[in-house]
Amino acid sequence: MKGTHLGEFQEIVMLSILILDENAYGVTIQEEIDQRMKRKISRGALQTALTRLEEKGFITSAYGEPTAERGGRRKRYYQVSNRGIETLKEAKDLRQDMWKLIPKLA
Amino acid sequence: MKHPEVPSFAYRLFRWFCKETMFEELEGDLEESFLKNKETYGLSRARKIYTKEVLKMVRPTIMKRSNSGPIYGIALLSNYSTVAVRNLTKNKLFSAINIVGLAMSLAIGLLAIAFAAEMYTYDTFHEKGDRIYRITSARTNITEETDVYASASLYTAKRLKDYGGFEKIVPMYKGFYGDVALEEKLFAVEGLYVGEDFFSVFSFPLEYGDVKTALSEPFTAVISEDFAFKLFGKKNVVGEIFQKDEHSYTITGVARNAPRTSHLKFDVLASIVTVESLPDHDFLSKWGTMWMSYVYVLLPENYNMDQIMKNLGQLEAEENAMAERFQISLGMESLGSIFPSDGKYNQLRTVMPEKNVNRIIILAIIVLFSACFNYTNLSLARSLKRAKEVGIRKVVGANKIQLFGQFIFESLLISILALAVGYVFFLLIKPEFLTLDRYFARTTSLDLTVGIGLMFFGLTVLVGILAGFLPSLIMTRFKPSTILKGIHKMKVRKGVGMREIMTGLQFMFSMGFAILVILTYKQYHFAMNFDLGYDTEDVLNVELQGNDPDVLKAAFAEIPEIQSSSYCSFVASTGTTNSDYAKLPGSLDSAIAYNMSIDPAYIGTIGHRIIAGSNFTSATSEQQVIVNEQFVQRFQLGNAMDAIGTRIQFYDKTQTIVGVVKDFHYGTIRNELNPFVFLPGKTNKPHFVNLKIKSTDLIKTMEKLDEAWTSVDQQHEFKATFYDDQIALAYSALSSSMKTYGLLAIVAISISILGLLGMAVYTTESRIKELTIRKVLGASFTSMALLLSKNFIKIFVVASLVAIPVSYMLFKQTILTYSKYSINVGFWELGSGAILIIVIALITISSQTFKAAKTNPATNLRNE
Repeated sequence: MKGTHLGEFQEIVMLSILILDENAYGVTIQEEIDQRMKRKISRGALQTALTRLEEKGFITSAYGEPTAERGGRRKRYYQVSNRGIETLKEAKDLRQDMWKLIPKLA
Repeated sequence: MKHPEVPSFAYRLFRWFCKETMFEELEGDLEESFLKNKETYGLSRARKIYTKEVLKMVRPTIMKRSNSGPIYGIALLSNYSTVAVRNLTKNKLFSAINIVGLAMSLAIGLLAIAFAAEMYTYDTFHEKGDRIYRITSARTNITEETDVYASASLYTAKRLKDYGGFEKIVPMYKGFYGDVALEEKLFAVEGLYVGEDFFSVFSFPLEYGDVKTALSEPFTAVISEDFAFKLFGKKNVVGEIFQKDEHSYTITGVARNAPRTSHLKFDVLASIVTVESLPDHDFLSKWGTMWMSYVYVLLPENYNMDQIMKNLGQLEAEENAMAERFQISLGMESLGSIFPSDGKYNQLRTVMPEKNVNRIIILAIIVLFSACFNYTNLSLARSLKRAKEVGIRKVVGANKIQLFGQFIFESLLISILALAVGYVFFLLIKPEFLTLDRYFARTTSLDLTVGIGLMFFGLTVLVGILAGFLPSLIMTRFKPSTILKGIHKMKVRKGVGMREIMTGLQFMFSMGFAILVILTYKQYHFAMNFDLGYDTEDVLNVELQGNDPDVLKAAFAEIPEIQSSSYCSFVASTGTTNSDYAKLPGSLDSAIAYNMSIDPAYIGTIGHRIIAGSNFTSATSEQQVIVNEQFVQRFQLGNAMDAIGTRIQFYDKTQTIVGVVKDFHYGTIRNELNPFVFLPGKTNKPHFVNLKIKSTDLIKTMEKLDEAWTSVDQQHEFKATFYDDQIALAYSALSSSMKTYGLLAIVAISISILGLLGMAVYTTESRIKELTIRKVLGASFTSMALLLSKNFIKIFVVASLVAIPVSYMLFKQTILTYSKYSINVGFWELGSGAILIIVIALITISSQTFKAAKTNPATNLRNE
């Protein structure tokens, strides 16, 4: 199941993209994760995760308009694909089912 | 493009390694974050974060992939080898020049590696080797001369015990030599008396016997496996007894044979306590008796060298205060620095001087460079021929690193081929090298090990890379646009200066070696024909080997070919000397006088001229001496006649001068003339019988002599050498230098001439049209030859201007400093070597011009 396997970090990246909605690109995703997770991640590490997710078809990306504050370079916006959303849900359901099966905590 | 405050190095690094598809996005993000960080944390922190982020980008998803994957690699390699082989076969002459030149120099390089590796493995097998030291003695005599000896007195060992600071002290005494007797049979032996801790310091395992107690009793001995086998025909011989000098020794152990790479070698190790019972014991236990004894120490794990040196200093101060004629200063020498040696006297066994090792290495490096230059030179000169290939390859997409790799690959191929040929050369010169002189013969085997084999290969690769580096670099720099527009417009300006320098250096080395050979040969010839002041011709010196000289003389007397016979304590003019202080009675003025003991017949046999007084009256005449002219002068005894009858103090006895001989050279050409004294008969133990022979059939005479010898001594073999041969042996260092330089001269000259031939062929080839047109227009052969050799002549002149003074300086330093008498070095001695090489070189160049000039012009001009 290598093709659909979702790592913890990758899951967080996808969730961040969904939270950011229209404004999901490198810097914002990085900040979102930094704030929520209270942990510093490097842009390089994020890029690896984004590349893998895109390879698996869980996210898509598109260039935006050039921005002055970026030295005229374009942003690359990310969106979670339907397949990605399904996979996220599957992961969530799997966990919920498992949570329910724990006798003492229920 | 980039924000001015972003760290530019990190930016450029990132741009260099980042995938182009990702660069815009990532660099944009980085810059945006950078600006935000600048506001929150300030500029310098933001810059730091930026750099850190860039460094964290170094990961496979982001980095560019190099475009030569493993699949291309193999295909390219096979293409490279095809091209390399084609190139090799296309230019057979150049390939041959390169391979033969490299092979010759590699052979020398292999020799140097095998030799140096062997020298530095000596004594590395001792487990406690890093803590073993030897005590050395620097002895200063009254003339203020200080010599450093590897030996130290047995007395020093005894005193050191009082000081402590050593874990073990092992005294050794070299006096165990001569013959060992076993039931009337004699065996020549080389042994040592050693302290009982010998085996706990050195790693010489015992096959039989107990390491701890083997050498604790007097007259006990441990013998080597080989020697045990020689004596008894078996190995376990513990408890057996042998005789040496009227004493019986009990064998308490059998030691495994010492490795060849041990500076300590022995047939027998006898216990040092035995020495206390030997007749020489009193003499041997003096502070000043340091000639044949050695002291090795094992230091404790955490030794304090300062304290040890302080102790040695205190010991020598105490003892020197009581010594009159000399001072000894003690030193320490680690086991690792014993072999090869830094030139200390009195080594225990033959030790290779370190300067020999260094000299061989330096000379090998010179020759190796010379051969690398050939390859570099020829490849550079011919680089344009490959230009089109480079152009096409670049256009098709080869990058610089790949092209560089290709050319290095080619030079590696050449050097590996050269290794195969060079190895054969190596095997051919190996026996010559091993017999260069006694140092090599006794210490070197040049046996190959896996490690040395690997080093051979390493050297080959190194040479390949070194030789190919420059041409590869220049060829990869060709620009495709220029090449493809037309090669004839290209000029390789850069390489030309380099090429001239390299050719110049090659010829400098060749000339230097040639000059050194000539100078050394002349000096050797000079030494061999030096007028010693007496006549050594047809004199045969017979080693007495312990026999009575009078008995032997009587035995030889019946042989008619012997004109006269005499005996002496040692053979003069071969390097051996003996000296003591002489003075006039009642005077304080003393001087060193060299001396030897002779019987009256010696003066006549050797042809000394007595200029005043007379010969000894008989061999037993006591208190008579014959002196030389120098002696008369030194003690201001007036003229030779006045000196007769003068009494002198010599060897603590009063002696009377009965005769004066004309000055003669008792030493080698290294020694100045000093006062000399002949002592009568057996004052010092005679060692040689001198026979003046007049024979038409030498072989038959030698047979008769052998027969006469056997009638006196059945135990030893007849050993005799002609005086002239013994003198030649004394100059073996000169003859070995001559051989070394000779071999290198041949190699260096061959390499440089080969290279020159290649260059000449190339120049003529590339200017063939020009030459032919000149010929058609009426140019003479001479003018054409001049045209081609003009540049070379310039190089030769510069090379000889450097080579001549440098090689003269070298000769002066290595050979002349040790000689009081030497050849006069004039123009011809120095110039002939250089001229010889220039002539050979010019012949090589003209041969090519000649070829060009002889060809029918039509052949060369037809196409175009």
